[in-house]
Amino acid sequence: MSYLRLAALAAFALVPLLGASFQVIDLAMKIALFATLVASYDILIGYTGIVSFGHAMFFGVGAYAVALALTRFGAPTYGHLMAGVLAGMAAGAVLAVVIATFSLRVRAIFFAMITLAFAEFAVILAVQWSELTGGEDGLSPRLPGLLAVGGDGGRLLGVPISSRLVAYYVVLAACLACFLAMARFVHSPLGRTLQAIRDNALRAEALGVRTFACQVAATTFASVVATVVGAGYAVWVRYVNPESTLGVPIMLDVLLMVIIGGIGTLYGGLVGAAFLVTARQSLPYLSRVGAALFPGSALAQALTERWLLYFGVLFILVVFFFPRGVLGTLRQASARRGSS
Amino acid sequence: MSEPLLEVEDVHTWIGQHHILQGVSLRTRPGAVTVLLGRNGAGKTTTLRTIVGLLHAARGAVRFEGRPIHRLPAYEVVRLGIGYVPEGQGIFATLSVDENLRVAMRREDAASRERLTAMRALFPDLARFAGRPAGTLSGGQKQMLAIARAFVNDNRLLLIDEPSKGLAPIVVEQLVVALRTVKRQTTVLLVEQNFAMAAALGDDFYLIDGGRTVHQGPMETLVRDQALKKRYLGV
Amino acid sequence: MRRLAPLAIAAVCLFGPLAFIEARTWLTLTIAGLAMGMLVFLVAAGLTLIFGLMDVLNFAHGAVFSWGAYVGFSVVALVNRRWGWVDSPSLSQNALAVLLAIAAAMVVALGLGIALERVIVRPVYGRHMFQILITLGATIVLEELIRIGWGPNDQVMPVPLALQGSWDLADVIVLRVPVLAIGMGLLVYAGIQLVLARTRVGLIVRAGVENREMVQVMGHDIHRYFTGVFAAGSALAALGGLMWAVFRQSVSPAMGGEQLIFAFVVVIIGGLGSVTGSLLGALLVGLSYNYVAFLVPKAAIGVTMALMVVVLLARPAGLLGAGK
Repeated sequence: MSYLRLAALAAFALVPLLGASFQVIDLAMKIALFATLVASYDILIGYTGIVSFGHAMFFGVGAYAVALALTRFGAPTYGHLMAGVLAGMAAGAVLAVVIATFSLRVRAIFFAMITLAFAEFAVILAVQWSELTGGEDGLSPRLPGLLAVGGDGGRLLGVPISSRLVAYYVVLAACLACFLAMARFVHSPLGRTLQAIRDNALRAEALGVRTFACQVAATTFASVVATVVGAGYAVWVRYVNPESTLGVPIMLDVLLMVIIGGIGTLYGGLVGAAFLVTARQSLPYLSRVGAALFPGSALAQALTERWLLYFGVLFILVVFFFPRGVLGTLRQASARRGSS
Repeated sequence: MSEPLLEVEDVHTWIGQHHILQGVSLRTRPGAVTVLLGRNGAGKTTTLRTIVGLLHAARGAVRFEGRPIHRLPAYEVVRLGIGYVPEGQGIFATLSVDENLRVAMRREDAASRERLTAMRALFPDLARFAGRPAGTLSGGQKQMLAIARAFVNDNRLLLIDEPSKGLAPIVVEQLVVALRTVKRQTTVLLVEQNFAMAAALGDDFYLIDGGRTVHQGPMETLVRDQALKKRYLGV
Repeated sequence: MRRLAPLAIAAVCLFGPLAFIEARTWLTLTIAGLAMGMLVFLVAAGLTLIFGLMDVLNFAHGAVFSWGAYVGFSVVALVNRRWGWVDSPSLSQNALAVLLAIAAAMVVALGLGIALERVIVRPVYGRHMFQILITLGATIVLEELIRIGWGPNDQVMPVPLALQGSWDLADVIVLRVPVLAIGMGLLVYAGIQLVLARTRVGLIVRAGVENREMVQVMGHDIHRYFTGVFAAGSALAALGGLMWAVFRQSVSPAMGGEQLIFAFVVVIIGGLGSVTGSLLGALLVGLSYNYVAFLVPKAAIGVTMALMVVVLLARPAGLLGAGK
């Protein structure tokens, strides 16, 4: 298994160096970012067993924190960037603790609905507080130093060091760091305790585990990781607005990805993200194919354009037949083969 | 023995990963009260729940009047003429006493209403508190209501789970009197921890231990057998 | 004491704003708030019963709301194109148009509800997470079907002439549609309470909300009641959607999703399984939203959140919740 992970990492690291087009590099970056986001969500839903709809909100907090730090405080520097990232993490942590402390005491369904309500609230706040957040138009931060558009760091080993290259590796490193932290977390005593709680909360309580404290800790950790991913997103895309970083569409994407990849597998996020992001990018081609095959038929065009419909159907089918997702089913199959 | 009304044959039941019933077999004589005895956790309640269809029998068979019922869902099982009074009575607290009885009635016809009248005569409190929320009744009254509910239909078998639990001794006495009247008209399978009550009502007994039937016979034998009582009941 | 608290909150909510708002404006806002509340109640009522009886989190409820609006929209557009019943000044024709739309919307929703319950929800009983996921998936599919069938953009909802405009009561302008919505909501509430209290079906549903297992043991096939409640709840949501379209004079594919959030908040405030609680919660949310939207527009949605937070802190099971 770990060979596959190393191979994946190598693939990500080598993509920009192999002369790939910007579209492919962008694809790889987005996959890396969302894989990390989904993995952090998996910690909540798969390892701790908490269903939350507010996760996208933390992603947005991280993105906005960086964007704000780089636009509202004068000319952007590396210091601003770091401050933004750290501020995002701190805000995320505080927010997570507040929400978790308040909401985890109620029944699980209440928690899901409350997080949904908070996420919606966050979107509306971002849209309406336009003096600060730029409203619906959002913010377009400029990045400091080497990361800025047109930044040129000369050549290293014959490879031109463009701002894009630097940004790519910086963000990739951040994602890697997050993954390592998450893997560490899951295998730590706290991580194992959480799995015990997820499997049988009553028994865990009987054994003296402080369930509530553990869940708050897990929620906070996962949320902080999400803010880091959000920060990375802001650095790469250089454009932050409510629609792309907060709210229900992102949350639905994350849900789709975590289901397809596999709940409770952590790395399933890679599979899910790869699938969804690639599918999204190739959809314009699909609708063109549809228009070519059935020229003049509005219905056929509509059917090929509305790819979300097929995602919805796929989602339902996966939940029914492969509730463990791609990775989960594979792991289960290999475990069975191993033991028989 | 004449054709047994209820026949449980080597039933195994799992709850999650726990193998609770590991081979329970019993038969009830028509018109008699059969008592299931055993320690806490032995599997008595699980046996009743498997019979009535709330739990699935992974192995073995359950037959009522000769007919296999272990694959039927609970609502079909009870429609065959089986009444179930669970531990804790299962009263609908927010519904009135009368409404509780009405929910139980499978058909709101003359025969059912006659039985209802008979129940009201046996348990006068039911008439007195007809419109009150059932949750406001005392423990003993709730138990009477639960039994009345099981009786309002033409049930040939009653499954009753620990009716005396949590009731004061004087109420238990009333309960025994009520059940004695009821038993004349129907067959009863009773789970009871209170040995005195079991002895007062029971005709036959089955001892359950570790999910298996380990002993059976007429009640008088058990009453006299101190060793057996001590071993399986701690009495 | 327990009974008085919700009424006290309601009274404060209703009459408190008089301190800040002039009486005539207050009246207009109150009617608008009550109307909005009633429409949210229609959605919340089904939701709370579905959860109370079946322990099912139905996130597809919003999509049925949208479908109700769109089916009604098509019917109204059709009768207007064919016979001009919407633009006509004749009251009976207007009424007929509306009734046809309502009937169509509710029938389609009944069908959708039955299909959803049987195909989507039944396989995942008892597993909350999967219920959430799968009803979300169903929502995506249903919303996309709307976009395919009716187009992705917002459209104007034709409103019958008789419903447009307002009455003039002692110098106060009272819009007709909100009053209609309030009347409809009260009728539906009364209808639900009547069915629950006086019919055998209602009796069994009430018993089932309290103890599903016992109802089975009394010889009733609880799954039939599940399907029935789910379908009925869906029909109510569709009615709410149609009325909302008339209220706002527009339909949009995502309209259900937005209202669903409100409905969830209302169900939380009112208490899971309590129809009266939903009514109370819905009216509170509707009123507070409208008052605050007038006084401090940007804080309107915040008030709804705050209300939910306050209620959860004071009474976690909801105002009239059973605290299961």
